[in-house]
Amino acid sequence: MTMPAIASSPARKRRRRSSGWQGLAYIAPAIALVTVFFVLPVIFTLWMSLHRWPLLGAPRWIGLGNYLRMFDDARFLAALGFTTHYTVVVTIAIFAIAFPLAFFVEKQRPLVSTYRTVIFLPVVVGLASASLLWVWLANVDSGLLSPLLQMLGLTERRLNLLATFDTAFLTVIVMVVWKIAGFTMIILLTGLQAIPTELTEAARIDGARPWQRFRHLTLPLMRRTLALALILSITGSILAFDQFYIMTSGGPQNRMISVVYYIFNQSFVSFNLGYGAALSIALLVILVLISVIQLWLLKVGDDRP
Amino acid sequence: MLRKLLFATALVSVLGSGAASAETINMWVRSGIGDSFKEVVKAYNTAQQDKVELTEVPFSELVQKYATAIAGGQAPDALSLDLIYTPAFAAAGQLEDMTDWAKSLTYFGSLSPSHVKLGTYEERVYGLPLLVETSIFAWNKGLYKQAGLDPEKAPTTWQEITANAEKIRALGDNTYGFYFSGGGCGGCAIFTFTPLVWGAGADILSEDGKTATLDTPQMRKAIDIYRNLIAKDTVPAGAASDNGVNFLSITNGKIGQQSLGAFAIGTLVTKHPEIDFGVALIPGVDGKPSSFAGGDNFVVTKGTPKLSAVKKFIEYTYSMEGQKIMAKYGSLPTRGDIADEVLKGLDPRLDVAKDAIAVAKTPYTLQFNDLINSANGPWATFINAAIFGNDVDGAFESAQSEMQSIIDAAQ
Amino acid sequence: MKTRSKRRARRAFWNGIAYHGVGLGTAFFFLAPFFVTILASFRPSAESGRPPLPPWPVTGFSFDAYHTLDGFGSGIWQHTINSLIVSLGTVVLTVAISVLAGYGFSRYRFPLKNVLFVLIIATLMIPFQSILTPLFIILAKLGLNNSLFGLMLIYVTLQLPFSVFMMRNAFDAVPKEIEEAARIDGARDIKLLVRVLLPLVMPGVATVSIFAFLNAWNEFLAALVLLSSNGNYTLPVLMTAVRAGRLGAIDWGAVQAGVTVMIIPCLFVFLLLQRYYMRGLMAGAVK
Repeated sequence: MTMPAIASSPARKRRRRSSGWQGLAYIAPAIALVTVFFVLPVIFTLWMSLHRWPLLGAPRWIGLGNYLRMFDDARFLAALGFTTHYTVVVTIAIFAIAFPLAFFVEKQRPLVSTYRTVIFLPVVVGLASASLLWVWLANVDSGLLSPLLQMLGLTERRLNLLATFDTAFLTVIVMVVWKIAGFTMIILLTGLQAIPTELTEAARIDGARPWQRFRHLTLPLMRRTLALALILSITGSILAFDQFYIMTSGGPQNRMISVVYYIFNQSFVSFNLGYGAALSIALLVILVLISVIQLWLLKVGDDRP
Repeated sequence: MLRKLLFATALVSVLGSGAASAETINMWVRSGIGDSFKEVVKAYNTAQQDKVELTEVPFSELVQKYATAIAGGQAPDALSLDLIYTPAFAAAGQLEDMTDWAKSLTYFGSLSPSHVKLGTYEERVYGLPLLVETSIFAWNKGLYKQAGLDPEKAPTTWQEITANAEKIRALGDNTYGFYFSGGGCGGCAIFTFTPLVWGAGADILSEDGKTATLDTPQMRKAIDIYRNLIAKDTVPAGAASDNGVNFLSITNGKIGQQSLGAFAIGTLVTKHPEIDFGVALIPGVDGKPSSFAGGDNFVVTKGTPKLSAVKKFIEYTYSMEGQKIMAKYGSLPTRGDIADEVLKGLDPRLDVAKDAIAVAKTPYTLQFNDLINSANGPWATFINAAIFGNDVDGAFESAQSEMQSIIDAAQ
Repeated sequence: MKTRSKRRARRAFWNGIAYHGVGLGTAFFFLAPFFVTILASFRPSAESGRPPLPPWPVTGFSFDAYHTLDGFGSGIWQHTINSLIVSLGTVVLTVAISVLAGYGFSRYRFPLKNVLFVLIIATLMIPFQSILTPLFIILAKLGLNNSLFGLMLIYVTLQLPFSVFMMRNAFDAVPKEIEEAARIDGARDIKLLVRVLLPLVMPGVATVSIFAFLNAWNEFLAALVLLSSNGNYTLPVLMTAVRAGRLGAIDWGAVQAGVTVMIIPCLFVFLLLQRYYMRGLMAGAVK
């Protein structure tokens, strides 16, 4: 089977003929894994969500009962409220830090790549390790923060940061900003660097002030990048679990139960697997909605048939 | 690729099922179980052909993991289960019915009664006592002396404890008069705090477990006592967020008084010989003492093929030899008939803990986890909110109604 | 003339000071927690319960914290090796599977191609915490529960959306002519892929590997639920036991040592292969 050396068109034709199955063969392992460890579990979760499914003992079909229960489950609504609150606050906090940082590391200056690397370092450690690290830093007796605050004279006595909602929430936010800001910074940086320098120069020569340039030039040109960074931050925050589980065990008086934490509690602590599954499906719907908005904002999919 | 994958799967399962002639019992215990049980297992493994392989599971995850493992058909043969969970697991039909064998043991009648009671579900026995644990009150004699208090005199009322706490606190910066884990540790609070109410005749659940009876004058009084201890600055700030990991803070030598479990006696004696301490029963709000009978039940996963090996091991732990090893490392005897002999020559403070069994209570409810033990349950929330929060009435109200709704939802 | 250049030089100097001032301050905030933990982990056990002021060992350098850490579970080596097995296994499998799939998606046409691609990408949207119970049951049915291999397969699945996406883009960037030329030379299918194309997509492979390694190394919840014997625990699961404390007292020294053991490989891999990591991130961001 030597190929005729004349042109590539017969080759392409031949490949197209046999390629149907060959292509499938190449992607088969990936599809197999996704089917077994993703599609099946999701279908199973859907099935479970229609049952009263205790961990031990026989499941009972209850139709949409679990879904109806959600609407007057005060704890679920509280978790939803808290997750929204957290998502808004942490996203604002991350952007408030990451945007200036992106500007800071944009231009080629001495040491700039070192600064980038350093700011990015916390991103690569796990959220669990980061939470553990900070739960120690925030510990009132053996940590760093409380004694430091006391030493600097900011608090009269050692303040137990994790004991009240406001301070514990603040600690978690600081930890997450520390951990994530570098990531958002890099995303924003790609957007910034994509803006042609001639444009900014032209604006500068026209006498536009920095804020005006930012507002009317940079922001609109970064729309796609901003949307992406925003979506990543929002989806990530909605799925928040590790930090609350490890740092505050749900926070002072249960006030830091995120949705995933609540699902975890329902499924693996109270063993209401059916209800937990229904909650998972609800969360899934929320995330799919957000992803749809994401696709709409980014208009991905246009470029590829 | 897929075939390779399946091959690898097969390989793994073949490697996993290598059989041996002597049985190996897989058993799970919670982390922090203490040395006593580990020592018994060590002794058993060196003396016997059968082996017991312990897996330590973080205590906050044990129940979840066990239940998930059962669902996946991968449970261990046996488990040291916090006794309060035994009814729920037995009710779900996951535990081996050991009634006939248990009743054939000559000493069955003298096994710790509250363990057997909680191990029994609808007249059948599913759990047998493994570790007996009572809550007791301990004080640091060294700090008492420094504070000018009589180190040999046990306080018998909370007024006395509070007064002592203040004097100890006056010693200096890092010395505190009292400690408890107040940040979402329901298990700690039920263990050390409810005796205040029980001693005065109240309870947090009705006799049949179907009504939450949290809001009683006794409970209000108990909460006031703890709030007062905090207001007087006798409790370290860390208590408010301690979810149980620092339960044994007294071991750092800077805590004057604390309610503890009997296991702490063993820990203190063996690991912290530098701390001289006394123990007494926990006074109720009106001075009448009480205690929580806790600990672990030995339960066997239904259908395990290693039942006879497990039984042999249980019998060993009940033997004089097994009981003595456990007592030596701070666990109370599970057999009343030989208790005195087992404790002979051991630390006399263990006797106080043993005597506590007589006045001790244990709540019997199938929803113990959701109601009491879960870090995110109403009881844990209540303790933190009522003792550290600003709205005591609100804390009572919301905990009472949430507990009731959990009970009702399970009916 | 001279004064102007002098003024300019002075302005540049002060700008430089301001720039590096901000830079160093920021760097301090992002680096300090690492340094404090790593330094504090070398304090002797008598110091480990005290606040890290100063963070370095005062009464002499010591490995106490690491010895304590070693006392948890089956010893720190065992758990580090478990974590390494899982992470490296995940890397190998992820690379193998995503290279094949990326090639398939880039070069072939077949029925349902787009649907299947979206299906793989959709994995990203599911909080996998919510399908843990079914996962557990499926692994048990396959006889793979409580096995590092089973955990690996889950991690690989979690890595696939990103990795397949990356590899498809990498193959898209390889000119078709190269392939045609190789075909003319008689290279076919797998041989063509491995001998000719793989070297060309190596940067993509590196990116996929780093992400797979870091995610597998750091994952906590699935490992916690799916592994059920001491000997198999990975480092993050071991750390829950350390965090839960022992004998009613948490040993912060062991926590610091554990955090150190967990972060060092991440930092090392990242610093070593930073270029590829950033490239992957940018590629994801631009798309």
